[in-house]
Amino acid sequence: MAKAKKDNSIAVLTDPPKLDPKGMKEPINVLIVGVGGQGVIMVSKVLAQICQNLGYQVKQSEVHGMAKRGGVVFSHVRFGNNVWSPTIPMGKADVLIALEWAEGLRWMNYLRPGTGIFIADTKRIVPPFACRSRILGADIGYSRDTPDDVREKVAEAFALDATEMATKAGNERAANTLLLGALSTTLTFPVEEWKKTIAKMVPPKTVEVNLAVFDQGQYWIDGSRKGEPVEGAAFVPLVQPEINSVRTTLEITDEWCKGCDICVKMCPERCLILNKDQVAELAEPDKCTGCHICEWLCPDFAISINPIIQEAVA
Amino acid sequence: MNKQVAIKAETSKDFEIRDYLRLDQFPHFMCPGCGHGIALRALLWAIHEQGIDKNKLAIVSGIGCSGRVGTYIDANTYHTTHGRPLAFATGLKMARPDLHVVVITGDGDCLAIGGNHLIHAARRNLDITCLMLNNEIYGMTGGQVSPTTPHDRYTTTTPAGNVEPVFDASRLAEAAGAGFVGRELTIHLPRLRDLISEGLEYKGFSFIEVMSDCTEINGRKNDLGSSAEMVLGQTRAMRPNEYDNNVVDQPFRPNSMDMGVFVRSDRPEYGATYRAMVDQISKGQKS
Repeated sequence: MAKAKKDNSIAVLTDPPKLDPKGMKEPINVLIVGVGGQGVIMVSKVLAQICQNLGYQVKQSEVHGMAKRGGVVFSHVRFGNNVWSPTIPMGKADVLIALEWAEGLRWMNYLRPGTGIFIADTKRIVPPFACRSRILGADIGYSRDTPDDVREKVAEAFALDATEMATKAGNERAANTLLLGALSTTLTFPVEEWKKTIAKMVPPKTVEVNLAVFDQGQYWIDGSRKGEPVEGAAFVPLVQPEINSVRTTLEITDEWCKGCDICVKMCPERCLILNKDQVAELAEPDKCTGCHICEWLCPDFAISINPIIQEAVA
Repeated sequence: MNKQVAIKAETSKDFEIRDYLRLDQFPHFMCPGCGHGIALRALLWAIHEQGIDKNKLAIVSGIGCSGRVGTYIDANTYHTTHGRPLAFATGLKMARPDLHVVVITGDGDCLAIGGNHLIHAARRNLDITCLMLNNEIYGMTGGQVSPTTPHDRYTTTTPAGNVEPVFDASRLAEAAGAGFVGRELTIHLPRLRDLISEGLEYKGFSFIEVMSDCTEINGRKNDLGSSAEMVLGQTRAMRPNEYDNNVVDQPFRPNSMDMGVFVRSDRPEYGATYRAMVDQISKGQKS
């Protein structure tokens, strides 16, 4: 069934299904996920509008608002002859469109096992929370999964660098329309209907770019399914940048310290304490990141942080 | 496997504060958690950033906790009478225009007893950097009410709470004609450093109001919490109403004072105009 491929189309089905809501009892579920500002809501609105134009019942529910500019955004779109609940149950999504790589991995358990189609942009938006460790050279908490790791988990999956392709086409923000193009290949709706709706919903100045990338998205998926070599940016594994292992030493001049407690309360890592003589003491040297807050806010100049550079000698 | 690691202490730390301090005077006399120490660090860091030679730096200070701050700086320091550091600094700068003159003064020193000197120094726009450490109380003399003590604060001279309105020093200096006026909190140390650095660079009278803490006297009497709580509280417990500040609807800094550079004008510097006139007279062009 699924055959392994070297390029970004991770796994393709030899006989891909075309989802058609006509005459089906159950609705078709499309889950769109991404990060605030990428255009998740826009994608779901276009899809919902098309379904409405074609006379299907549509229910869409989304989480947005606080997520604007950097938070998690997801949108459930269900359409068919009869839709009761607005949200997709876990394991029932027919198509998962991810505008960001880690978000796609996170929502993968919503895909229908065996037939679910996974389409993800390989763009990475590392959230601030993932960079929580302030120690220099610390690892970021972002998924290291590559498209190869996804292969076994889903029936059909595509990982394309939509953002890069859209940037080349002229507008980075058209990446969501490119994924709409990819989505359109899985449904039976006429292409004219897609293009008409997109042209109506995107800003007038960007209609041309959006229609161009829509075609690119369609071409990409169709080409991958036929096994043709398709152009597209390859998946680049996440590499932690090399940082010199800079360590710092924290020196406290005990005679100068008056025990005012500012450094103890201000330390983000809570590695300083007041000892029994009411003098600041570095209780946990390993936790100290050398952020200088205690040094800067010490009114008695008792703390000084000195960098030590460890140089590896061959 | 057994990788040899040579550990070498990096000596090129960009700013080492102990190069600028009189180490034999330490530990300093200020109370635990006093904000003046942080302000002193910001000043020395700004001096370091400006690359000012210690021999060409004159620190003039008045009386009070703020006046004592100047004595810990390893430079030419001048500890003058109460309220008059700006008057002394004016004479010093006129006689020695090659020196960088920095005045360290406090709220009582600068606004109460030395109020007149402040407005006239600002009017002349002589190239002096005036650092006013505003801790809202007379700390050294035992906690009397000062011109910047906020409403309802308990002090030794206002046992039932202060009823006087406060003095907005930055607005006063601005109205008197200071060329450069700015205000910053001590907790924002990098921003305070940059502000002082800008003030040192400015040719003319630069007035910088530093919102400092008095933890032992003001804080203890008014139950404002420990030193750390007072330093942290600076960002949220400021008093816009007292300072006639209408910028209260900032989304991320509600109810706080406005900070930063208020005035930066290109008024002529007094020392330069004075010396130009002297030159003209000595050449006999003007009788």
